[in-house]
Amino acid sequence: MNIKSLFLLGTVSFIVFACNKDEDKEEFDRGAMLTNMASAVIEPSYTEMNNQLISLHSSAVDFTASPTAASLNVLKDGFVSAYLSFQHCKMYNFGPMMDYGVKNAMNTYPADTAIIESNISSGSYTLGSVSNITAIGLPAIDYLLYTSDEVTVLNSFTVDANAGNRKTYLTDITQKMKEEYALAVSAWSNYKADFIAADGNDVSSSTTLLFNEFVKDIELLKNAKIGIPAGYKSGGQVLPDYVEGYYSQISILLAKESIVGLTNAFNGGTGLGFDDYIKDVEGEEVSPSLVDNINAQFTLCDQKVSAIGTPLSEKVNTNSTAVSEAYAEIKKLVTYCKTDMSSTLGLLITYQDNDGD
Amino acid sequence: MTGIKSAISFFKLRNFSWFKTVSAAPLAVYRIGFGLLMLFSTIRFISKGWVQEIYIDPAFHFSYYGFEWLPYPTPSVLYLLFALMILGAVLITLGLFYRFGATLFFLTFTYVELLDKTNYLNHYYFVSLIAFLMIWLPANRYFSLDAKLGRCTASDSVPLWSIRILQFQIAAVYIFAGIAKLETDWLIHAQPLKYWLHTAHHWEYIGNFLKQEWVAYAFAWAGCIYDLTIVLFLSIQKTRKFAYMAVIVFHLMTWLLFPIGVFPWVMMFATTIFFSAHFHEKIIRILKKIIGDTKTPSSVVVSFPSQRLKKVTTAFLGVYIMIQIILPFRYLLYEGDLFWSEQGYRFSWRVMLMEKSGHATFYVKDKKSGIQTEVENRDFLTPNQEKMMSTQPDMILQFAHHLEDVYRDTVITQYGVDMKFEEPEVYAEVYVALNARPHQLMVDKKHNLAAISNDLTERNWLSPYNR
Repeated sequence: MNIKSLFLLGTVSFIVFACNKDEDKEEFDRGAMLTNMASAVIEPSYTEMNNQLISLHSSAVDFTASPTAASLNVLKDGFVSAYLSFQHCKMYNFGPMMDYGVKNAMNTYPADTAIIESNISSGSYTLGSVSNITAIGLPAIDYLLYTSDEVTVLNSFTVDANAGNRKTYLTDITQKMKEEYALAVSAWSNYKADFIAADGNDVSSSTTLLFNEFVKDIELLKNAKIGIPAGYKSGGQVLPDYVEGYYSQISILLAKESIVGLTNAFNGGTGLGFDDYIKDVEGEEVSPSLVDNINAQFTLCDQKVSAIGTPLSEKVNTNSTAVSEAYAEIKKLVTYCKTDMSSTLGLLITYQDNDGD
Repeated sequence: MTGIKSAISFFKLRNFSWFKTVSAAPLAVYRIGFGLLMLFSTIRFISKGWVQEIYIDPAFHFSYYGFEWLPYPTPSVLYLLFALMILGAVLITLGLFYRFGATLFFLTFTYVELLDKTNYLNHYYFVSLIAFLMIWLPANRYFSLDAKLGRCTASDSVPLWSIRILQFQIAAVYIFAGIAKLETDWLIHAQPLKYWLHTAHHWEYIGNFLKQEWVAYAFAWAGCIYDLTIVLFLSIQKTRKFAYMAVIVFHLMTWLLFPIGVFPWVMMFATTIFFSAHFHEKIIRILKKIIGDTKTPSSVVVSFPSQRLKKVTTAFLGVYIMIQIILPFRYLLYEGDLFWSEQGYRFSWRVMLMEKSGHATFYVKDKKSGIQTEVENRDFLTPNQEKMMSTQPDMILQFAHHLEDVYRDTVITQYGVDMKFEEPEVYAEVYVALNARPHQLMVDKKHNLAAISNDLTERNWLSPYNR
């Protein structure tokens, strides 16, 4: 056989194999994964959050119109349910969400109560300014609604000197959140096609984007939700007021919901997600699959976070063993993602961002 | 010393035959090609914003062992260095003030490379070596402005060694790259190639082709055989054409599949040095036609170097070749797993052999007060630096030492808490996944890294790697 015929044979077999799609095992396609993520996971989470904020604002308007224990409780329920929804959509912080700075405006904590109070008493403020980032969003509402017992809170909106200003401040915040989110969501519908079209695996691809935000959100779970309040970043000095939802004491609930949201992001809901992508790359011989390891780790993290007990702001002092165990398991989850998952999918950790949720 | 002696005697045996004169055309084409490629790649580097991102943004720099003393340039000096690099590349291309241009390019390029090992790439090392060799080669004797303006002795011929040393360098790259592939991960498991090919695809049909398991093995074995034999087939006149076609196919494929920048183009160009003088003379004739230079008479000046110069040149070449051959084998001095400890990994033409990702957590503990805090790597490193550091032991140690410096006798404020550090100890917990194996512990938290010196001795502080 001379070189020419060898070359010909090579070319022919290349084409035959290239076109012979039937012989492949189950088809996996990054584009299909992105489509599923965009339509069945990301978009529903945005829509849900949008609805939550609309209803939160209307509850706030109702409450300020007639501040009673009943309307306060409706508002509080709306607040908790919006905060829980936020745990499902915050890791999709790219495109318009990133451009509008939604994530930071929504949940930079701890809230700066001094700034909030001074804004209320002066009655003049620009909520979008950088200095007010810790005086707006869910943490600010958390403070306004839960800072004290029901009677005191009701009084602050009814009989106190600044009651009028406080009511305005509350609805200004809920309105800002509602409007900004709606703006980002409507911009998303234009961005969605670009998101699906960037189906490579390079630094600017949507898969890399999704992966980076996913890992970043697990790190936020580890640091912002647990590690910082537990004092791991401050030389062992616990910082109870750094927990998420400090006044409403729903930190553990939020952390658990965040794990649910992350699990959903990893598995692509019930459709194609990172789990299917990993299995496609691994092939059948890898056992246990990295997918099983990561999902088992999610379950373990959830159990360990539950074991801390509530409220977290007290447990960082009284149940430090459980806190450190939960922290260790979440750290393992980060390790799985930054080592095995990154290697298997050939994706780079590229984000460069500051702290905060 | 015996190495040098034997090298000299080796060349003497051949009666200095490396000094016989040959056509200067290959060297002239090489000079122009190298100059243009370097011009292009330097401009590309600047236009991608990498000067800012890679050299100005980082607050800490991972210096090379033995080059810690190099001063770090200010942003404006950095841009000046890149401007000088461009000037050097232009002068090389034109063959104008050639030796100055080559020296300028070599010094600026190498200096910038030595600033931070985060950015180490085998092809940058290759460029540094070629630029260094170019300084000493008479590449401006023919078809250059220096020759035309009478700035040097114009001549149609150059000594054979000036071509052979370039061929040697290219042979070293391929053959050592081939030898490095003779290991189980590459040949038996086709890793990391298998996963890379699986995820590299972008096109539906090719993607399904690249996903096939046998394709990964075919690519792995073919790549290895290619690296080991291509120089031989390029050297034999009969097989040269097919060999060069293989060069093009091989490097185009790597260029299409993997983000490896200009390296494929550098190699596709560099291998033309194996072509005949006749081929290169044809290129020069075409170039002459393009620039409308038909009048320059050919010059037949042949210089006869003195015996002394021959000896010095031979010794110089001998030492250079010895170093190039020994360097890739220095890993044999260490017991640890080469891929894990990476001792002797750089400067050895080990290309595409590893997929390594890590997760490194650092803790600083004050020996006096006992307070311990977890470090946010991002506060000190860029994402790229953090990624590189997380898998490379010497960088882990360098970063630990940097943390020791930052925390020593300092009050660090985090989340409103003042922490006073006097005698910081630095601990790290590092997990690394290598070539499709599940992650393993690389650095145990029990070692105070601040107390371990960063030198060329065995890295006993690493946890062993289980293949």
